[in-house]
Amino acid sequence: MAKKAIDKRKQVTSKNAEEARKPLAEIAPAQGVRPEMKPSVILVGADKGGVGKTTIARAVLDYLASNNVVTRAFDTEFPRGTLHRFHPDLTSVVDLTATSDQMRILDTLNTEDVKVTVIDVRAGGLTLALHALEDTGFLDAVHEGEFNFLIFHVLGSSIASLDEIEEIAPYVEDGHYFLVKNHVNDTTFFEWDPITHGKYFEKVVTTGELTIPKLNEMSYEQVEIAGVPYSTFVADKTAEGHPARQSFVLRGYVRTWLNKIADEFDRVDLLGLVAPRNNAKSGKAGK
Amino acid sequence: MKRRANVFFVCSPSARVGVSTTARLLTDYHIFTNAPVIGFETDPHEPRFAAFFPDYVQVIDVSDIKGQITLFDSLLAPDDTTKIVDVWHRSFPRFFETVRDIGFIEEAERLGIEPIILYHADASKIALEGALALHEQWPGVTMMLVHNEGASPLEPQGLELLRNYPAQGNFVVAPLPAPVAKVLDDPNLSLATFLRDPPMDMSIVVRAALKAWIGPVFTQFQSFELRQRLESSAYLQ
Repeated sequence: MAKKAIDKRKQVTSKNAEEARKPLAEIAPAQGVRPEMKPSVILVGADKGGVGKTTIARAVLDYLASNNVVTRAFDTEFPRGTLHRFHPDLTSVVDLTATSDQMRILDTLNTEDVKVTVIDVRAGGLTLALHALEDTGFLDAVHEGEFNFLIFHVLGSSIASLDEIEEIAPYVEDGHYFLVKNHVNDTTFFEWDPITHGKYFEKVVTTGELTIPKLNEMSYEQVEIAGVPYSTFVADKTAEGHPARQSFVLRGYVRTWLNKIADEFDRVDLLGLVAPRNNAKSGKAGK
Repeated sequence: MKRRANVFFVCSPSARVGVSTTARLLTDYHIFTNAPVIGFETDPHEPRFAAFFPDYVQVIDVSDIKGQITLFDSLLAPDDTTKIVDVWHRSFPRFFETVRDIGFIEEAERLGIEPIILYHADASKIALEGALALHEQWPGVTMMLVHNEGASPLEPQGLELLRNYPAQGNFVVAPLPAPVAKVLDDPNLSLATFLRDPPMDMSIVVRAALKAWIGPVFTQFQSFELRQRLESSAYLQ
């Protein structure tokens, strides 16, 4: 499937690719999209469940919001949605394999007031999602420079995760591909020996690696129960904006954790990748 | 002038330098002056401070998140009550890492609560390094040096060491003769009650020595408090 994917993307004159790209090409000139306002898609996924990809997606949304980047999100955990529970105002639940939902996401990428789209891919669905994006011509459009494409590949702790890298490598050549080690769920990542590391990592060009630090279980659990964005929890508010009266200690730990994640995103210049014109000084989680 | 809401961290990275004695003296001072006070004991194995004030002091395990919540959320409660924390020397580094990680100092200052570090000096390098590290982390926090001459006597050259501490002032606790110090070990002896109504069955000599020992310490606390009130007075800004 990998070789087929590469060949397909390179055949830009193929009938399917041209037809798939038509709606995007027709929309972009009509809205007068300027090069410096290129829309960005951030795909957060893993081919394994329980590695914390929705945690990462939530952290990305919080980071972008704190830096005044207008964002929308799609939760592909159809039909219920997990990301949607925490960010209902920003998030729509979709089925990425359904044409109608593909159109809903991709045909609206150039919406004037929302330049950044985060897609939280359902567990085990990263390869499928990339395949769908390939089929719709989105990856061709990325290749042509119409969109910024970032992939946050959340890794599990076993060697099986490294096999995932090989599978999706062909789809991410034109994107910014980040490997994410998520310590939130107490995963211990072994340091791959140089031979193993070389064997897998030489097959893919990565923009960088992100390390998400551990948040203690009680704080994590309390945010889950509260069902609000991390920054709302830190601000001690409910979803409706009322005082939540959460423990200061737990809020403090979440604030520090968010700030460390913001430092990681700053380090890889995430703002510069998604919103070059809005690349203001990074905003840390509020006091 | 309204009494400020203070949180005192009574601490040292070294053992047996008089930390619990200071915590006790400070608590008794507040009780003696009818000021609301509560205390927190962080040594779960040998809770000496808590033993003297069962009605005022809680024993907290700060290695546990639940203990941290009980402690730090209480310290920030807007109840105009002075809080005194006896920081166990073994938990000293981890305790202040937690203070840093949760942003306690910043939140306390935002709420108008003043954190004060009562740092116990001794001749060791580790004690000086601990004080310098705290000062570097929170340069705006008041640090008062406590020198317990009985628990941590210093040679004349050692006294020079005290000049290196980044403290705004200091308290001195004089040494006590052994027979008098032994009386202090009685958990039923309340120093506040002793000052108001000394027990008649106590040796006159011990009574006088104890009074002479407590008096100067309480005077220092009183001066510190008065200076704080004057510095924060709106009339003198």
